[in-house]
Amino acid sequence: MARNKVTVKPAVDQATIDKCLAKTVAEGDIVNFRFLFVSYSPLRDSSTENIADERYAYLTEEDASGTLFDGALQAVQEPAVREHVMAQLAKNGPAQLPASLVTLLADNAVRLGKYRAAAQAYELLRIRGRIQKVYLEQADEALDKGDITTAVRGYRIAMGLDYDYAAFPEPMPTPSNYQSKAQILHAEYPRRPEDALALQPPETHVNVALGYLLLNSEMAGRLESRTLEQRLAFLVELVHQIDPEWAAFVARYKDAIRLVEKIGSRLQQQANKEARVGLAEEIEAQHQEEDPAEIPRLLLGRVLTNEAWWDYVKELAYAHPAGVLFVVRQFVTRDLEIIMPRYVKESPLIQALGLALD
Amino acid sequence: MSDQGYINYFEVLGLTETCKIGEVRNSYKKVIKQLLMEIGRSTITDSRRDAFLLDIAKLNAAYYILRDNDRRQQYIDDRARIISLEAQWNVAVEKNSDEMDSLRRAYDGALKHFLSTYMEELMLEAGRDRECVEASRWSRAHERHASRVLRHFRQRLYHEIHERLPFYQITPPEIDWDQRAQLVAETLADGSAV
Repeated sequence: MARNKVTVKPAVDQATIDKCLAKTVAEGDIVNFRFLFVSYSPLRDSSTENIADERYAYLTEEDASGTLFDGALQAVQEPAVREHVMAQLAKNGPAQLPASLVTLLADNAVRLGKYRAAAQAYELLRIRGRIQKVYLEQADEALDKGDITTAVRGYRIAMGLDYDYAAFPEPMPTPSNYQSKAQILHAEYPRRPEDALALQPPETHVNVALGYLLLNSEMAGRLESRTLEQRLAFLVELVHQIDPEWAAFVARYKDAIRLVEKIGSRLQQQANKEARVGLAEEIEAQHQEEDPAEIPRLLLGRVLTNEAWWDYVKELAYAHPAGVLFVVRQFVTRDLEIIMPRYVKESPLIQALGLALD
Repeated sequence: MSDQGYINYFEVLGLTETCKIGEVRNSYKKVIKQLLMEIGRSTITDSRRDAFLLDIAKLNAAYYILRDNDRRQQYIDDRARIISLEAQWNVAVEKNSDEMDSLRRAYDGALKHFLSTYMEELMLEAGRDRECVEASRWSRAHERHASRVLRHFRQRLYHEIHERLPFYQITPPEIDWDQRAQLVAETLADGSAV
């Protein structure tokens, strides 16, 4: 009877272990860092997984270099850390991760903008909440000094470090779920123009926008005591930092406004009245050449298979989170509801974000 | 019996472990009435609504569990077990004993069971109890909303309890908060992070 050929896995050398660990630490990669310590980790001699396999090439590939990698490698090669790592890799049962490496990994994750990974690492260290508080405090100090850019940066990092303890099946970093939040913002059809978010007075508009963009009512609440000018400047900076493609949205927004104007003042007038009045057929008859359904397509910059208004809100919120703050729901025919741009031209927010037509 | 994060339903009703069932009933009726009057007087915001729902759910659960001898004894036993397991685990960690891992696993399982049973399932079950429904005016709508609030409450407690437990997934970190503050300042000034 033929026997299966038993292949003996070569022992993992110290340099490979150091390099794999340093790479994950430098990249702020908490998932793979933890993977390197699990019972079937390719770094364990007792595991059948082989680090030399092609599928583990991503753990060892040569692109790992630079200041962060050098710092991580130095930390990994500390005698005490190395001794602890080797003991954990040789041990049966769950490994205890070295705190110094997890701390460095978390800091690197923040530097690289990987806030969810940083949140997980800080949570393991049980310092996430306090670190988040330090970021917020320093951001508030920057705001006191009028340094809006740094203040927004601080709030954004703190926001990224947020944790959802009600998540199922276990707590996890809070995702930037603008898609769902945007749908909640537009859940109620505005019966009167003044009900529409986009047409709210600046004070209300700015507060709602901050609550929505910061994804956390407590953080937005910290800004409530600031003057409207400060909150406005903060919001404008936040919009630009969250959405580097904001200028592209502004251009499309203006195109959409031009189209609305082209379709006619009648549509605008109707938008000021109660919705669902049978204006549709009339508009369609008069403007056969201009399709109102083109408005949301213009806003988003592409056509969706499902042309429902809420789908456009969702997609717009994903592409340009702040974009949904300046649109309203509008019935244009009995069966067709779209999102369209609406704004108060004099609003300082509209002026600051460059959304108004000249 | 102090709380320690493992909800103490005797304390919720202002009673001791030796109290009689009649005292449980009287105390519940009195406290729930006071709470409903307070709710009636208050302006309801989102966070206040969640807090009130949680308070009602706790009172209902306290009454539901403590008025029944079997449920009450089971609750006392489960609570005592979890407190004892935490103490044993701490001792094992101090002595660096081989039992550390098994005790940690036993504790973690018991903790999850305790929190889900006494801080969620029985709280919701109490909301369907006739006497509790009558006294607290609890309805299906409350239950729908409360399940989210209770899950959040349970997870928060789980997290708070974990904060004081020995480090097991990671070696105990040494955090220099001045250095941390400096690092945060550097990260913010650098700007490459965002």
